[in-house]
Amino acid sequence: MKLKKITFLFLSFMAYTNSFAQNNTSKIAEKKSTVRQLTIEPGIGIHTNFGTDLILSNQIQWNPNRYLSLASYTSFNINNPFQRDFNGIKTNYDYSINQKIGIGTTFYAKKSSHTFLLMAGVKYSSFKETIDDPNFNKVSASINSFSPDYGLMYSLKKGLGKYFFTYRMYVPLYPWPIKGSDSNYLDGNLNNITLEVGIGINIK
Amino acid sequence: MKMKNNTKLIKKFYTTASAIILVFMLGSCTKEEFNPASMEEFSLYSLADGTSYFIKVAIPENYNPINEKYATIYALDGEENFDFVANKCKEISNKLAVSNVLVVSIGYGKDRSIDYTPTKVSSKTGGGPQFLNFIETQLIPKMEQDYSANTTRKSRVILGHSYGGLFGAYAFSVKNEIFGNYILLSPSLWFDNLVTFQMEKGNRENNKSRKQLVFMGIGEGENSGRMQAPFEAFYQTLRDNYPDIKLDKNRVKNLDHLGSKNPNIVKGLNYYFQNR
Repeated sequence: MKLKKITFLFLSFMAYTNSFAQNNTSKIAEKKSTVRQLTIEPGIGIHTNFGTDLILSNQIQWNPNRYLSLASYTSFNINNPFQRDFNGIKTNYDYSINQKIGIGTTFYAKKSSHTFLLMAGVKYSSFKETIDDPNFNKVSASINSFSPDYGLMYSLKKGLGKYFFTYRMYVPLYPWPIKGSDSNYLDGNLNNITLEVGIGINIK
Repeated sequence: MKMKNNTKLIKKFYTTASAIILVFMLGSCTKEEFNPASMEEFSLYSLADGTSYFIKVAIPENYNPINEKYATIYALDGEENFDFVANKCKEISNKLAVSNVLVVSIGYGKDRSIDYTPTKVSSKTGGGPQFLNFIETQLIPKMEQDYSANTTRKSRVILGHSYGGLFGAYAFSVKNEIFGNYILLSPSLWFDNLVTFQMEKGNRENNKSRKQLVFMGIGEGENSGRMQAPFEAFYQTLRDNYPDIKLDKNRVKNLDHLGSKNPNIVKGLNYYFQNR
């Protein structure tokens, strides 16, 4: 049910943004104000796991021409920063670092542009938990792991000047379908959709 | 001319994007199904909690109830896990050339969070004792009477994930005489301030001399701040206090709570079939 709902919302969102982009493309095709060749877009965001993760990110986007977009995305995620003690279990640290590159295309509207990218890269995760309760032995478990990370990125840039508003949504696909193709493998993905906002800087 | 090219590009993009989304959706819909011809179903009313449970039983190939007695795997969250577990049991037993088991799927009664939790911390928890009583006094006797299930403790397995894993750990701790084998996947041992640890400790003297097999599995990506440390602590408790235990654990690389379930079911079943 949750999967269906999120898929529906995602598709609705895609359909809306796509039709918006398509409607406006012809009207402002020759306007150059929203066409940017190189941008830096620092942002801040959350995951869709009820907003319990904090994300600091940056995307560098290079458009060699109007419809080809290349991007590099880096983020530092502080996971569960507001819940470090639970039922006598302490989270000592919990973070992840992502680095991805992507290729896609951009559509231009009157005062905004819409970029769709296929991204791929690597994610490093590190966390440690300890049972910290006087009634039990102190036992810790720590995980340090690298994993692939690929998915779909939507990036909105709104504004005409050197500085502009940015919004990004990243839908991770890994581990689907490499590790498995049933809905169990998508649960984590639905919790880890990234929503970010920030201020972009037009370099070129 | 330029507009025409743009339109072509846009069309190509939408075609590609639609194909990706379609593959994504179709792929996410795949679910393994067990052959219905090898399966029986019935409902069983629980005298302990006044709820009916929908039970499915996977019958092994060449089932011979007159001459053979079968080990039994009781799979919790049966509506989710039955097909996968039953298919894997068939595959693994064929691969190892050993006798297959009866797989018993226990469907949902009132609510899984009621049935699988040992203590009451809210209106949606605390039905574990009644549910275990139902399994012990009604379901197991029915399986032994109607399906040629082996009546010994060592031939009974309980398999559960998440709250189901918690329930398995609870059964291990308080009614160790029922099951001889436990496949505990991503168990929610954090529940009620680690109450299962207290139960295990309280019954350890009675349980530690019994032979048992325990497989514990979890996903490496389970970083909710409550899963990993209790998992490790329970593993160490069993390792250090139960001399006659066959014990193994597995952390599935890069997968989270639900994603790690099926890989750990496969690992757990392999461990069971190879070490029972």
